[in-house]
Amino acid sequence: MSKPTKPLWQTPWGYAESFLIAFGLIIIGFLLEFTIQSSTGTSIRYPMNLILGAVFLALLLGFYRLIRKSSLFLFLSGIPASIGAISVLTLLVIIMGLTPQVPMQEENLITKLSLNQLTTSWPFLFINFYLLIVLALVIIRKSIPFKMKNWGFVCSHLGLWITIFAAGLGSGDLMRLKMDLHENKTEWKAYDDKGNYYELPLAIKLNDFMIDEFNPKLAVVENETGKLYEPSKPSMIMIENDLTTQLHDWSVTVDEFLPVSGRAGDKYHPLHDFGAAPAARVSVSTSTSETLTGWISCGSFNRPHESLKLNENYSLLMTVPEPKKFSSKVTIFTPDGKKEEQVLEVNKPQSVNGWKIYQLSYDEKMGKYSTLSVVEVVKDPWQIYVYIGIFMMMIGSIYMFWRGNKVTINNEQ
Amino acid sequence: MIWNYFLMAAGVSSASWILSALIPKKEILRNALVLTGILSMAIYIGFLWTSLERPPLRTLGETRLWYSFFISIIGLITYFRWRYLWMLYYCLFMSLLFLFINYLHPENFSKTLMPALQSPWFVPHVVVYIISYAFLAASTLVAIYGLYQIKRDKFEEKYMLVADNLVYLGFAFLTFGLLFGALWAKEAWGHYWTWDPKETWAFITWMGYLVYIHRRYQKPKKYVSALWILALAFVILLVCWFGVNYMPSAQFSVHTYSMQP
Repeated sequence: MSKPTKPLWQTPWGYAESFLIAFGLIIIGFLLEFTIQSSTGTSIRYPMNLILGAVFLALLLGFYRLIRKSSLFLFLSGIPASIGAISVLTLLVIIMGLTPQVPMQEENLITKLSLNQLTTSWPFLFINFYLLIVLALVIIRKSIPFKMKNWGFVCSHLGLWITIFAAGLGSGDLMRLKMDLHENKTEWKAYDDKGNYYELPLAIKLNDFMIDEFNPKLAVVENETGKLYEPSKPSMIMIENDLTTQLHDWSVTVDEFLPVSGRAGDKYHPLHDFGAAPAARVSVSTSTSETLTGWISCGSFNRPHESLKLNENYSLLMTVPEPKKFSSKVTIFTPDGKKEEQVLEVNKPQSVNGWKIYQLSYDEKMGKYSTLSVVEVVKDPWQIYVYIGIFMMMIGSIYMFWRGNKVTINNEQ
Repeated sequence: MIWNYFLMAAGVSSASWILSALIPKKEILRNALVLTGILSMAIYIGFLWTSLERPPLRTLGETRLWYSFFISIIGLITYFRWRYLWMLYYCLFMSLLFLFINYLHPENFSKTLMPALQSPWFVPHVVVYIISYAFLAASTLVAIYGLYQIKRDKFEEKYMLVADNLVYLGFAFLTFGLLFGALWAKEAWGHYWTWDPKETWAFITWMGYLVYIHRRYQKPKKYVSALWILALAFVILLVCWFGVNYMPSAQFSVHTYSMQP
């Protein structure tokens, strides 16, 4: 199977050259990163990104005109170059997939090479640029002259190109800010990750924050460590009235469950009060011991929790209820004097004045008594272009599903 | 009411799908039975939608109905296009499985999903992945078989074409899964791509199959390397599916629901 090997860098270039170029690019990138670290704080904003994008496009077209008759064009728009770029980018992404991508304080080789923040590093930028160039030349080669049978190919590749291009350029203009809304107050300032405040072209008044919760669950913990005891699954069981269930070695019966209650004397009573917490009267027995009965409660921000000691080692307790649904009733004001009533809910953002408003979280310590609602406000002017790319890729995928291996069959003939 | 009608609809679907599996040769009758099962699901979902006066997307049980519905439809469409009877039966089996889980756990219909999962994108996102993984797993089997045949010098080109077709179909669904995920993330979290560990690994998987497709396109006669790439890509897919939760990078992932209490 051995064939005469071609000296490196002698045309036509193939896989060896392709991988050398791609690896060379990320090595230069890492060297650059090592000497002058890319500052993560600065990003290219409007109009700078638009200008740079236009310059890149112009250079790309100029580059194409310059090389279109040379063997360099055949190489860069060919499959070995594509596979080299894809593989080396994949390698970088695998590193990202293995190591936590979070800022770190200490200075070591990892932070020096930005291995913990690869998406904002030089090597990542370089390989993406290279991929964009290769992909663009591939698209040009397939579409000049345009043949109808190539439409699926062009659609998926161009879609991918537009997505990377728009997402990359747009990342500088993307603003994701948080806003703390307090009940009955109007807020127009939002802050970013670093704590910088921005004034928005809209103001939001929180009229009411609402939360639905699941019932709390039963769980057994180790007395000494407070750790969840889970020799068998499920280790947590949702409390319901009259529930009888087996939790590990114990048989637990819920005699009475009060979603909101307060303790008075030796028992809990239903109570609708600020901070009233769920409580349950439970009976617990094992095959060897007699029945234990007592009250448990998960407590709230202003009430203590109460657990039932099962023996020397373990206690039965009630977990803090998880949210089922939470939403904010808000009034949104815009500078032109308009106001609109909206409900913000997870997965149901509202758009106002070019900003999208998302329900994010609330004061978890206060649980359902939270009067704070945290919303995220997002402005992403490039989103539409990314979506165009995404939809082109989807159409390309449908084409792919329909054509299947006809592509390879044609290619072989 | 809702439960009794569920039993009726699920009964009709199960009966017609199981019956269709018993008569694989009688094509028209079989397809009619598959279609009947799908219709009965559609009618039930429609009934549920009107009687709840909201899209039935809020509870675990409701999402499983949609899984059954969509998976069986895709199975039938794929069958019409490609005549993969095994895929049709795989899809019907998965649909039946979801109905059966609902039957065993009636409480699923009252178990509300966590807020972030209550999205119209959730069901399609999961469904296309279920289909895609099946195609890609099948392509891996072909790859292993192919490598074995090459060792015995009995390889035939048609294996390669089978592998190609499975990868193309699987990859199309994989792309949809990735893109549906991105659109959903934009609605739920404000950004379509955040390099969450699961996203990162899904992207790596996607790139792996991309390498295979391009390699095949360029060198259709080089089987061994292509088959190895295909086998390796599935290893990455498995990492993405099961392995991510155990990696140091996964501490902040939004996809690790299993870690929540």
